Amino acid sequence: MTSWKEQLGDRIPEQLAGEVDLFEGQIELKKQRKLDDKIFAETRLRRGVYGQRYDNGLRDDGTGQKTLAFPCGDLTKGPDTVWDAPGMMRIKIPFGKLTAKQLEVLSELAEENSDSILHVTTRQDIQLHFIHIEEAPDMMRRLASVGITTREACGNSVRNVTACEYAGVCKTQAFDVTPYANAITKFLLGHPDVQDFGRKFKIAFSGCEDNPCGLVTFHDLGAVAHVRDGKRGFRVVVGGGLGAVPVQAKVLAEFCPEEELLPLAQAVSRVFARLGEKQSRARARIKFLVQKVGIDEFKKLVAEEREGLRPDERWTAFLDDLHATDEKPVRDPGAIPSDAPAGFRAWAEHNLKPQAQEGYYSAIVTLPLGDFTATQGRALADLARKYTGDSIRCTVEQNLTFRWLSGVDAVAFYDGLVALQMAAAGAGTITDMTSCPGTDTCKLGISASRGLTGELRKRLTLVEGELDPAVRALRMKASGCFNSCGQHHAADIGFTGVSRQVGGRKVPHFNIVLGGQWTENAKSYGLVVGAVPSKNIPKAVDLITQHYLTNREGEESFQAFIARVGKREFRKVLAPIQKPPPYEEDPSYYSDWGNPREYTIGDIGVGECAGEIVPFVEFGLQQAEQQLHDAQDALEAGQAGAAALGGFTAMVTAAKALVRHLEVQVKDDADDVVANFKTHLHDTTLFHDPFAKGKFAAYLLKMHGEQSYENANDEIAHRALDEAQLFLEAAHACYERLTQAAAAAAE
Amino acid sequence: MQATKFQVKLYTRAGGIELEKLVPVFHEWIRNKKISDELLIDVADYAHVPQGPGVVLIGHQSDYYLDVADDRPGLLYSRKRGFDGDFQAGIDDAFQRALRACELLEAESSLDLEFATDEVLFRVQDRLNAPNGDATYAAYKPALEQTSTAFFGAAPSLERVGTEREPFAVRIRTGASGSVADALAKH
Ligand code: HEM
Ligand code: SF4
Repeated sequence: MTSWKEQLGDRIPEQLAGEVDLFEGQIELKKQRKLDDKIFAETRLRRGVYGQRYDNGLRDDGTGQKTLAFPCGDLTKGPDTVWDAPGMMRIKIPFGKLTAKQLEVLSELAEENSDSILHVTTRQDIQLHFIHIEEAPDMMRRLASVGITTREACGNSVRNVTACEYAGVCKTQAFDVTPYANAITKFLLGHPDVQDFGRKFKIAFSGCEDNPCGLVTFHDLGAVAHVRDGKRGFRVVVGGGLGAVPVQAKVLAEFCPEEELLPLAQAVSRVFARLGEKQSRARARIKFLVQKVGIDEFKKLVAEEREGLRPDERWTAFLDDLHATDEKPVRDPGAIPSDAPAGFRAWAEHNLKPQAQEGYYSAIVTLPLGDFTATQGRALADLARKYTGDSIRCTVEQNLTFRWLSGVDAVAFYDGLVALQMAAAGAGTITDMTSCPGTDTCKLGISASRGLTGELRKRLTLVEGELDPAVRALRMKASGCFNSCGQHHAADIGFTGVSRQVGGRKVPHFNIVLGGQWTENAKSYGLVVGAVPSKNIPKAVDLITQHYLTNREGEESFQAFIARVGKREFRKVLAPIQKPPPYEEDPSYYSDWGNPREYTIGDIGVGECAGEIVPFVEFGLQQAEQQLHDAQDALEAGQAGAAALGGFTAMVTAAKALVRHLEVQVKDDADDVVANFKTHLHDTTLFHDPFAKGKFAAYLLKMHGEQSYENANDEIAHRALDEAQLFLEAAHACYERLTQAAAAAAE
Repeated sequence: MQATKFQVKLYTRAGGIELEKLVPVFHEWIRNKKISDELLIDVADYAHVPQGPGVVLIGHQSDYYLDVADDRPGLLYSRKRGFDGDFQAGIDDAFQRALRACELLEAESSLDLEFATDEVLFRVQDRLNAPNGDATYAAYKPALEQTSTAFFGAAPSLERVGTEREPFAVRIRTGASGSVADALAKH
């Protein structure tokens, strides 16, 4: 009986083979309980082996939380993470580029180790779900044998480097960014300067400024191709990010010559590793560092760092052969036959893009919710071999693009897709929604983003032909929580999962975000207009699009329309559907899309978003930030009462997180939280600011005591929000002090 | 014979199926521990994927799919983890679990499903130990014949299907025409 290790032999590159062996050894040690939970969790995350919902061994079955009695007993693969619980494997696909062979191997793994579904993520990765940890090493070996590593797909490291799926074939690109994205991927993978980050680090490339391409503005580091005086270089931006409070990246260099790109990235990495926040994960992304020191100071720090770098030949070696990553078409170019059938034409309208190279096209295969089957994967590999060669790219909109399709073959390729039932038209339109995993598999999910996306897709596909072109062209994206993995800030209509308490029960909702800009690398983010019960979101989409069609001026774009009328007007439009009916009247509102269980947020786990496990307290602090953000919106909309209440609620949420962090049992209601906060954080002076002492804690106690948020006028609301802001700052600082003290005690 | 990742699929008698209806059913199976000797975990809904795995009841030892591959709906039993017992018993067990799941589904009034017994698809999701070739077929054929006869009575006819890129698969014409309950009773 052979093993994959023997079977694949030297088809696995030596270094990767060693790494997988090491990981397998660590699995063995952990099984013998000879490795610490946290250390093992970090190791596995750095190899792309992620947690999944319910992996703490608890699951609400709709009638209450039940224990999942896995046979492994108390063996764990991380703090509170049960050994046998299914997990997710994130497979890093640099700039989304796949060969036919890779697609086949991924399909094999999907069948043998997962549920035969391959999922394309919003950062051009492939994910497989419901994996058992003990099967991971062989999966990694099989991937390694076709040149794929899962290394640093998760964890506090440089994540998948993304780039526009048209790089190299695009008409508007300054030049092909592929060799640069490839060089930076290889240069930084495992580089000593990127091992000590406090948080994940995401890099994106774009071939031009105007098209969405790489979406560089919400990346930690983004590079946009430019040619200046005949010389290649990049406009480099830094410190962008999504999440509860999205931030646009700032310009680090207007023009960074190509040979300076890698050293610049290295210098940025070193500054981030040295000065970035390490204690409070909620503030550890580089965007917080850039905000803290200011972009000018940050530039100075990077310049100084760059000066001191020891020269490395890899900085420029790749420039000697910028064609190393070129793809070779397998067919001669040609025109699309003039008698192509109607079905093909309808598909081609959005799914076929002419390339810069005359006679070639890029074909987009739209994937419902980013999913395809192993059988489809193999068939797509065949289509690629026959028509396009190894030119497949996973896209940030969770589709697959096949480049280098000759016009002569376009209809045959389309027919091939029809046979696979993969010829859905409308790529990049309202039916081609993007969604994060949400409550389906993500431990942090609040609402069913996939369930919602599936529902909207189904409804809209039915009426696709009747939609006004202006509506059909809109993009919709959904995230299951404020972490924004579905990139909803960059959509015309975006959704983020939130939960609301109604009549003593929790109801799944989505916050609606309107008017985000997808083009120009996601140049601006949308406006939050308010939360709507999940089950009313289809109605909300109808109301929003109708309102736009009826009231727009001439050919006014959706973004321009939103900017002109403002969110206030949309609040009015949505007001009639914002309140769910009582449970007794319609219980369907009290469960989420695609999930008949009564809704609960009790299944939300401790996130493993990167590196170490994210404690509940940080989840709570982020939630508080979101509530404050919503309250600020309410104030802007003239709802002083709601705003003041929101400010108070944000403080209570933050206080509750801290109280729970001290392992004190606390109920959901404000009285209990405030009482416990007073006893355990105020009276003990733990919350005290080194300078302001008890000042910030007093804001909460006072507002609670006087109930001054009730019937607040504008002035009171303003003050409440200012105070809440300061309270949240103090909560973050307090948490930081607590963790530092704990770390010191541990040493 | 080390492979354990056996899959057994039985097809529904009528063609069409409303996959959404399976979601609450599988959730209820988890709640009420309908498959009492297995740990059932969650439901994965892939109804949006054409010719896909449909709706999946994810378990620890095995998964149960209402699968629509090839546009032919059926119950697909899929064992994921080791089985205590010999090779023949392992195949028997996979058939039995598939049939029992069919019986449970037939009993769900919201579904109105009935399964045919004349055809069974058997697969092994393990390319290392069971590549889709003649050697594997030779090793599995007698055991599959024995199991099929034990459940369905008649002498079956077997055919290996698919290419070597695909998992090892055998289409079994069981020669039976009875119900799922008949097959379970016979065994
Ligand atoms: C506290 C934990 C987490 C945080 C803060 C977080 C945050 C984010 C953010 C902000 C993005 C996208 C945009 C950006 O680059 O800024 C993202 C991407 C993504 N996240 Fe998360 N996330 C977390 C955990 C998870 C988990 C547990 C899952 C799924 C099981 C997940 C799945 C994804 C996916 C699929 C993407 C897009 C693709 C990728 O990065 O490969 N995230 N995450
Ligand atoms: S947005 Fe939230 S629910 Fe969705 S994957 Fe990210 S962390 Fe999970």
